[in-house]
Amino acid sequence: MDRFYVLLMGFLSVVLVNNFVFTKFLGTCPYLGVSGRIDSAFAMGLAVTFVTALSGTLTWLVDHYILVPLGLEITRYICYIVIIAGAVQLVEMYVRKFFPSLYDAFGIFLPLISTNCVILGVCLFINIWGIDNLLEVVVLSTGTGIGFAVAICIMAGIREELILSDVPAGFQGAPITLITAGILTLAFMGFAGMIK
Amino acid sequence: MAQSNELQTGLYRSALLAGLWRQNPTFRLLIGMCPALAVTTAVKPALTMGLSVIFVLVCSNFVTSLMRNLLKPHLRIIMFTLTIATFVTICDLYLKAYFPRMSEILGAYVPLIIVNCLIIFRAEACASKCGLIVSILDAIGMGLGFTIALCILATTRELLATGCIFDLRVMPRGFVPWLAMQMPVGAFVTLGLLLGLASVLTRRKAS
Amino acid sequence: MPKIKYFIEQSWLLIVSSFCFGLLIAASNAALSPRIELNIANKLNQLIVVLLPVAKQFIPLDADIQVEVRGGKKEKVKIYKALSDTEQCVGWSFKAVGEGFSGKIELVVAVDKDFEKIAGFDVLTSSETPGFGDQIKMSYFRNQFAGAPAEELAAVKTGDPTKIDADIVAITGATVSSEAVVNILNSFISSIKKQMKEKGLLGDGTK
Repeated sequence: MDRFYVLLMGFLSVVLVNNFVFTKFLGTCPYLGVSGRIDSAFAMGLAVTFVTALSGTLTWLVDHYILVPLGLEITRYICYIVIIAGAVQLVEMYVRKFFPSLYDAFGIFLPLISTNCVILGVCLFINIWGIDNLLEVVVLSTGTGIGFAVAICIMAGIREELILSDVPAGFQGAPITLITAGILTLAFMGFAGMIK
Repeated sequence: MAQSNELQTGLYRSALLAGLWRQNPTFRLLIGMCPALAVTTAVKPALTMGLSVIFVLVCSNFVTSLMRNLLKPHLRIIMFTLTIATFVTICDLYLKAYFPRMSEILGAYVPLIIVNCLIIFRAEACASKCGLIVSILDAIGMGLGFTIALCILATTRELLATGCIFDLRVMPRGFVPWLAMQMPVGAFVTLGLLLGLASVLTRRKAS
Repeated sequence: MPKIKYFIEQSWLLIVSSFCFGLLIAASNAALSPRIELNIANKLNQLIVVLLPVAKQFIPLDADIQVEVRGGKKEKVKIYKALSDTEQCVGWSFKAVGEGFSGKIELVVAVDKDFEKIAGFDVLTSSETPGFGDQIKMSYFRNQFAGAPAEELAAVKTGDPTKIDADIVAITGATVSSEAVVNILNSFISSIKKQMKEKGLLGDGTK
């Protein structure tokens, strides 16, 4: 029960309190590019969740059982990025085979994800935080992906409404999106201190 | 012969200057923004990040340009990524050795240079197609543009958040610091406003 | 056979360049890692020297002292004995870790030779909110600990910060971070003190 509580708190913390988009500024590029409509935002969020869950776990396993015991920490970044590229390929092949309609929805996002800061960010932060059991790693990586999905869907909803309002010509597009993101960050700060 | 020389110098100059304003990565091309928000709480980290990116860009463009005729099309991206990852590792080691304080402040954002869209974009768009010198000049130009953009952002944020730059007091004594500038809110809003400003200036020039 | 040949033909560049990059990284690592190790050691020493100014050398203690950290795990703590220039023990210092508001907080703590009073602490690494939790690094907060009794400290909301006793006035707007520091010190100091007394390492103070 205690263990479950720790996992739940970790999950909530990574989705709400320490959301990777709003507090760590990761994933801004696709965040700005894809959040125009809710359905594409949702597809992107879902794709990112798959990939973070898979790569977070894989990189932790490789780091824990291969890199550290053999003293190869120096190759960490290269190994991580190769695993992430491989994970993206795996997810793409799997989705294409078993969920073809979902694959059409994802479109070009999947290859784009491999340069998404969130994925490498998750792997690096899990390493920095010194997490050392597998279940916690899985929960945290999935949580990060879900946090990104939540952030991007909220943003998409707001942007769909913004199109109808009177934004000055110079500010349309990226500037107003960033300012909106800033206000969203302010709102999410309200969750701080929720978890002790 | 003289004409082709002139053409070449013109090409070099445009490669160098493009990254500074016309194709400034942060303000015009809108790529490579993740570090722009995270490291710009003060000017020193921003400068360190900018210089690291210049180093990685130049080295990776150099190697990619050398390899450009040998690349197989479907293995391009992984080759670029591997090159970039190598130079980022070397840069990280160097920062840890000679600038430990900065390395601590930048934290995980140094390895995140690997997935910085800017570097892969330049490798794909320029280094894999152009000659050696053009690639290097392009890298320097883009890197400088990126560094300047980061410094503008960092100066605004640091000035308004603490009233000091590089520990020199600039704002008058009665100035109340805008703490929000040091937090994520300030980052997003400042970048949004600066982008809006850049866009307005461009429109005005065009019309 | 043709399949392998095709494979090699397609990926020879990848294999060769991976090898070269690996060599490059190994070379940089070999060149820079001694300096990195030095930086890490220096950092700890520099901070401790400020806390215990009379200390001239630090000898690591060869004893198995363990403290329970987050998650109920027990971790070995490296304790340093601070000696003056006349080889007298003037205090002890160690690194204490714990969970803060947003991430891990690492402190370097110094206590006097009998483990009765805290000489002070400094923050090695932390990622607390700038302007709020980050203020645990400030001297007005840290000075409350200098000379405080090495027993159960309590974080209080209001009080006199200049009075040196077991009550620590928390930073306004950063209750969680202040309490985290107090908790870390409490758990580490009491546990280490108990174990050192059990092993007879504390005693006449002249050893």
